[in-house]
Amino acid sequence: MAAQGNRIDDTTLIREAQQGNRAAFEVLVRHYDQSVLRLALHLTGSEADAQDIHQDAFLKAYKNLGSFRFECSFYTWIYRIVTNLCLDHLRKRNVRKEDAPVATDHSGEEYSLIDQVPDGRSGANPERDLMRRELGRKIGAALSRLTPRERMVFELKHYHGLKLRTVGEMLNTTEETAKNTLFRATQKLRSALSEMR
Amino acid sequence: MKCDWVKDNIVFYVYNELEDDARYEVEQHLARCTDCTAELKSARKFHTTLSQAPVAEPSPNLLAASRMRLQEALETTTQGGFWQRLVFDPGNWLRQVRMAPAVAAVLFIVGFGGGIAATYNFMGGRSTPTSFASNPSSSSASPLEASITGIRSVTTEPGSNQVNIKYDTVSTQEAQGSLNDQKIQQLLLFAARNNFNSGVRMDSVELLTQAPNETNVREVLMYSLQNDTNPGVRLKALDGLSGFVRQDVRVRNAVLQSLISDANIGVRMQALHLVEPMKADSGVRSVLTRLAQSDQNASIRSQARAMMEQVPEMD
Repeated sequence: MAAQGNRIDDTTLIREAQQGNRAAFEVLVRHYDQSVLRLALHLTGSEADAQDIHQDAFLKAYKNLGSFRFECSFYTWIYRIVTNLCLDHLRKRNVRKEDAPVATDHSGEEYSLIDQVPDGRSGANPERDLMRRELGRKIGAALSRLTPRERMVFELKHYHGLKLRTVGEMLNTTEETAKNTLFRATQKLRSALSEMR
Repeated sequence: MKCDWVKDNIVFYVYNELEDDARYEVEQHLARCTDCTAELKSARKFHTTLSQAPVAEPSPNLLAASRMRLQEALETTTQGGFWQRLVFDPGNWLRQVRMAPAVAAVLFIVGFGGGIAATYNFMGGRSTPTSFASNPSSSSASPLEASITGIRSVTTEPGSNQVNIKYDTVSTQEAQGSLNDQKIQQLLLFAARNNFNSGVRMDSVELLTQAPNETNVREVLMYSLQNDTNPGVRLKALDGLSGFVRQDVRVRNAVLQSLISDANIGVRMQALHLVEPMKADSGVRSVLTRLAQSDQNASIRSQARAMMEQVPEMD
């Protein structure tokens, strides 16, 4: 929905950027970079990798902006680039089983991403916090057992709330295929997390 | 057979991905079948459980560092030029050639129409011009929105509908005009989304709420409601959208989305208040049911429950 709202502004910005106006491109980047970074961070579990994906995606977009023909929204186009980069990353990565979403900071130290999320809810207490983290770790482990494509579809649908039609467009596939992939992903997750239900 | 079909589709029902007729069939079946109702309950519980796993937001430091790194990289990057496009995208080139007559016709029509419109505006549109004053000397520049790097301030003159906007391009510029002026509206729309000064966004959204009938204004208000980082701006956007919850289903969905997932309890309470008159609507009802059952916040839970109790049972 937000992407649709951006459409008019983006069109002008894209046209300017296509003429070589870098300031326009940077404004365009600021419309999307936070959600791009969030997606990459959640999928890779590493700040350094997320930053690499963020940079590669926008550089690729900048270099190829001339071939953007407004056949889809810029949102779909940039996400198509980002999801491809993330899929490559997930495929290349040697996924350790029972992996918790662990991030690596600039000094090379590892820390759990779950531990970094502040619990701002009223009535938060250490016991509940501990359970929440334990739950997060289990979910992280179950997610890491999905295939890269299943993980991507599930991520875009469940955590980013995108329609399956849009997910299909981003992944260069049909809505039906995205639907089947989501079905498989949820079946696998339900079975992996069955003791929690 | 029917149960199998329903069970296969429960996940799409929960994710709101079924066509209306399929959704209706599922609901009809659920009303009769306890097995499938149990399956739905289990699927919803699973959905809620997964949603409890927090998604880490990139820290402001990470975002700033990524932006700086990208900016540095852009310094040394050049865009693919015409020849590269021609070489690497011959399909697109052929498509352009094939479309050339149609494009020429469209350009001709647009040019002709634009010429007439421009003449009409020139002759008749001199009553309330937007004035642009730029530093240091140019007096009638009309900068493209894309060249704007930021909006500095938005002020109104008391007792009139004149709006004064200071914005930066390469140098700071200033625009004056009435709220109905298209250029002023464009600048306000830009400012509402520009993510660098929340005070400016607040002022812009507040002014835009005076013209929510404009579709693009409503789009921006929805955008602010869902994406602005400042709860005050989100509240203002909610305010502006309040008159459209009933008639515009996209506004209603945006408000429901805020009600479910906004991080600020004040915004959620306001959203709850806005959807109350629509509680008989099935979408609103299903959100209220979910909130009444499992929302983390006790006061949202109790208010949603109270609203649901007032809704007459539907067949």
